[in-house]
Amino acid sequence: MPEPLRDTAMVARRVILQTLRDPRFLVLALAVPVLLVLLLKGVFEGVPAFRALHVPIDDYALPVGGFMVFFLAYVLSTLVLVRERRDGTLERMLAVGYARPAIIGGFVLGYGALALVQTALVVSATAWLFAIDLGARLVPVSLTTFVLSMVSIAMGVFVSAAARSEGQVFPTIPLLIVPTLLLCGVVLPLDQLPRYLRVVAHVLPPTYAENVLLGMMRHGHSFVHELPSFLVLTGFGVALVAAASLGMRASR
Amino acid sequence: MQARGLTRRYGRVRALEAVDVEIGAGEIVGLLGPSGAGKTTLVRILALLQRPSSGALALFGEDHAPARPARFRRRIGYMPQEHALYEDLSARFNVHFFGHGAPADRVDGMLRFLGLGDRAGDAVQTMSGGMKQRVSLACALVGSPELLLLDEPTAGIDPLLRERFWSEFRHLRDGGASLLVSTHQVDEAVHCDRLLLLREGGLVADTTPQALMRRVGTTARVERADGCVEERRFPPGGRELVAWLRTLPDAEADRVDVATDTLEDVIVGLMREQAAHA
Repeated sequence: MPEPLRDTAMVARRVILQTLRDPRFLVLALAVPVLLVLLLKGVFEGVPAFRALHVPIDDYALPVGGFMVFFLAYVLSTLVLVRERRDGTLERMLAVGYARPAIIGGFVLGYGALALVQTALVVSATAWLFAIDLGARLVPVSLTTFVLSMVSIAMGVFVSAAARSEGQVFPTIPLLIVPTLLLCGVVLPLDQLPRYLRVVAHVLPPTYAENVLLGMMRHGHSFVHELPSFLVLTGFGVALVAAASLGMRASR
Repeated sequence: MQARGLTRRYGRVRALEAVDVEIGAGEIVGLLGPSGAGKTTLVRILALLQRPSSGALALFGEDHAPARPARFRRRIGYMPQEHALYEDLSARFNVHFFGHGAPADRVDGMLRFLGLGDRAGDAVQTMSGGMKQRVSLACALVGSPELLLLDEPTAGIDPLLRERFWSEFRHLRDGGASLLVSTHQVDEAVHCDRLLLLREGGLVADTTPQALMRRVGTTARVERADGCVEERRFPPGGRELVAWLRTLPDAEADRVDVATDTLEDVIVGLMREQAAHA
């Protein structure tokens, strides 16, 4: 196996081993998105005031589930890289010859494995709880949610890779999450946003994922129709991994 | 390894100031100095983890090493000051991982050699500080590097383990490896072939333990019968001390104590001299 690929595989294997060694974390990481989807159902179907709003929650359940996976993956990957830098293990990896792209690629692959399980759980739990018949949409919806979580991991790695300290990383969590939630199209349709906010929305990768998910779930579009958004989302992921490799700092 | 005029600034603070260092094959060079002297900065620059603000660094006969770090990484073993291990993973996995995929028999052999054979499969977080230090050393040694840069490897470990570490360093030196060992414990200077003394980022001395031992003086303390105490310093050699002792009338000296400087005393004295001079 070529050395860069071998190094990437070693870092990914280490990340997966660490995840498996912490069952409490594993259970929380997998259960939280499902519990949040359950909460969504309880609130919109169980609370009369919300029920009176007549929100077609079945159409929004999967896009909201996707957003939750995005949120958790971002927080997780951000904190993990900060911890690596604080403990000196990131610097040690570089000192022994792991290349930056291999380290970043290993993180994305390792946590991507976790994101894959998260995605499968969220999509199946949401479909079951809201009695959604996904049919042929199962694969593209799952794929888009998974790619979104990978992009989110790459974003977390990019932000924490460029940061000098934990203090610089934490404020980015609400700074990214709140605008994303408001502007990605789930809470407000993009065409109802003022022009300058629409510009902001289009530099946020989740907007493209939600384009695909809302297009398929709410508007009945085919995946082929939403393919441009899916490709932009994937492009964001590749660009963020490359940017994180270039910007990664070793020391605290 | 040859470095000329290494300087590192953090804003207006100069952590390292025009330091020249050379380390040859089969040599243990001790890097001594108080906390904040610039030892870690120098070690990190030599480990190609940090670029100097100015100065030149040649490694293994090749110039401009900081510009092409990847060429040299596998030939350098680096042990950072903190343990820098994955505490939730086993010692064996850590050594394998930081040994860049070192084979299992080599990893186990290294851990056995450092007295951790029976704990190889245990998570690092279940180990004592000394054990973690040994795992960290195993990570640095497992790739059989030609140049070893060890940042305070013996900090916080018991004297027996320290002796074991130094015995291992001598063994590596005898095998042709070059070692730079930073320490703030000046009594460890005696284990080194050469010593670099750093203070406030500057190189105070590039010397040998033998040269320093030639500066060893003595202090004589005489308690007289009338209760008076006299203390006098004598230069190296002892001739003047003997001459002075002969002048003491037997009846006057109730008790005579003669203390010879240790290497530590000489180094501390040298540091103080330099500080006063500065």
